Amino acid sequence: MYAIETKDLTKKFKDKLAVDSIDLKIKEGELFALLGTNGAGKTTTIKMISTLILPTSGEIKVLGLDIKKDATKIKKIINVSPQETAVAANLTVKENLEFMASVYQIKNKKEKIEELIKQFKLDEVLNKKTKILSGGWQRKLSIALSLINEPKVLFLDEPTLGLDVIARRELWRVIEKLKGKITIILTTHYMEEAEKLSDRIGIMNFGKLVEVGTKEELIKKSKTDNFEDAFIKISGGEI
Amino acid sequence: MRTLNFAKRNFKELIRDPLGIVFTVVLPLFLLYIFQQFNIPNEAFVLTNFTPGIIVFSFAFITLFTATLVARDRTTSFLIRLGVSPMKPIDYILGYTLAIIPIVVVQNILFFILAIILGLKFSISIIFTILASLVIAILFVMMGLLIGSLLSEKGASGFSSVIVQFVCFTSGMYFSNEILGKTFRTICKLLPFESSLTILKGIMNNDLSTISIRNVIVFSLYVVIITLLAIITFKRKMVSDNKE
Repeated sequence: MYAIETKDLTKKFKDKLAVDSIDLKIKEGELFALLGTNGAGKTTTIKMISTLILPTSGEIKVLGLDIKKDATKIKKIINVSPQETAVAANLTVKENLEFMASVYQIKNKKEKIEELIKQFKLDEVLNKKTKILSGGWQRKLSIALSLINEPKVLFLDEPTLGLDVIARRELWRVIEKLKGKITIILTTHYMEEAEKLSDRIGIMNFGKLVEVGTKEELIKKSKTDNFEDAFIKISGGEI
Repeated sequence: MRTLNFAKRNFKELIRDPLGIVFTVVLPLFLLYIFQQFNIPNEAFVLTNFTPGIIVFSFAFITLFTATLVARDRTTSFLIRLGVSPMKPIDYILGYTLAIIPIVVVQNILFFILAIILGLKFSISIIFTILASLVIAILFVMMGLLIGSLLSEKGASGFSSVIVQFVCFTSGMYFSNEILGKTFRTICKLLPFESSLTILKGIMNNDLSTISIRNVIVFSLYVVIITLLAIITFKRKMVSDNKE
């Protein structure tokens, strides 16, 4: 069974074809990076798979569950860390964790929160309001919040956007530790991030999934010397 | 349970905004106090009329802060995080509404304590006015939900300021609408703010005969229509905000 399986997945917004007949298979425990230029359709794809919007046509299965019939069940086993940090600004770090634990009605709430505090080293900012935290801390909290329900599938939408190099590397370490334990679908504009973190990479262009493979496979297929050039060539740009 | 936890989060977000407290509590208290120092020979400023006026005025700021909170939750993707969770649309709508109840109760208690210090006689009408104001508050919360669902945080804040002005000029809190021209008087009658205040004043003065059928119909229609519009718009925007 695949963690995610889509067949002929299509999304139209009025006349605009945002996602065009995507067939995608992501294995359990895999870290799959979805790349593409702005407007390529990667965020729409992720939003369909994460139950936020319905596809116009096609099928999505998350760990064997059908998105149309089993959305409620799917919501319990997935989570998302959106592009913006999506934290409650006037609540403290601890209150944010407590709130999300209550949203998912986590039974061992206290233990789970303690575990996340330890895992993300949130002790030093635990009682601070999130609005005063740096971008790096907010991103760390955002990912911690998305792990509150121990998701089997996690969507990370541009998790290091706008972070300085040190904060980015720290967040990479956090993501690397999650690798293999859960299935992660990552979108990013940073090539080195996709190279460093992902097992396989999918490249979208004009709503279509144009290539899927490992970094090495994509470089080989595009007959280029490095991954950035491979991405540009596959996306139809000039090197 | 999810609804209550979301309401608790919204309550914390609102009361931890210092500007929110200033505008929803401190400013109305200041206006209630200061206008009583002038001994203005106008019925609108008699405590039994002006205190309900201050309540309706403070509710306009409830609209402002609800709108800002909803707009912020949309633009910071907080609603995307919750949209992926098992929360249902009804949890959001009730969560935003319930968060306001304790604020309204505290506002009312403080306004009436000051009014009593300034000379208002305590009566059971005060309790009935507080209870009625909870119903009136629904209209203002729903306006906030509607505005916050439609506009950005800045836009919501700006548009809600217009509501504050409308409340000041059309509710009759500062002057009777009878002294205004026919057109303006008609506008006041068609908007819900004059009816909201007339209902509260009627209850406060223990004189329900001052509340007309029109007041009840106008207020009720606005509550129903704005609530339905707010729910439909919020649900639609939750989906449309999630487009790429």
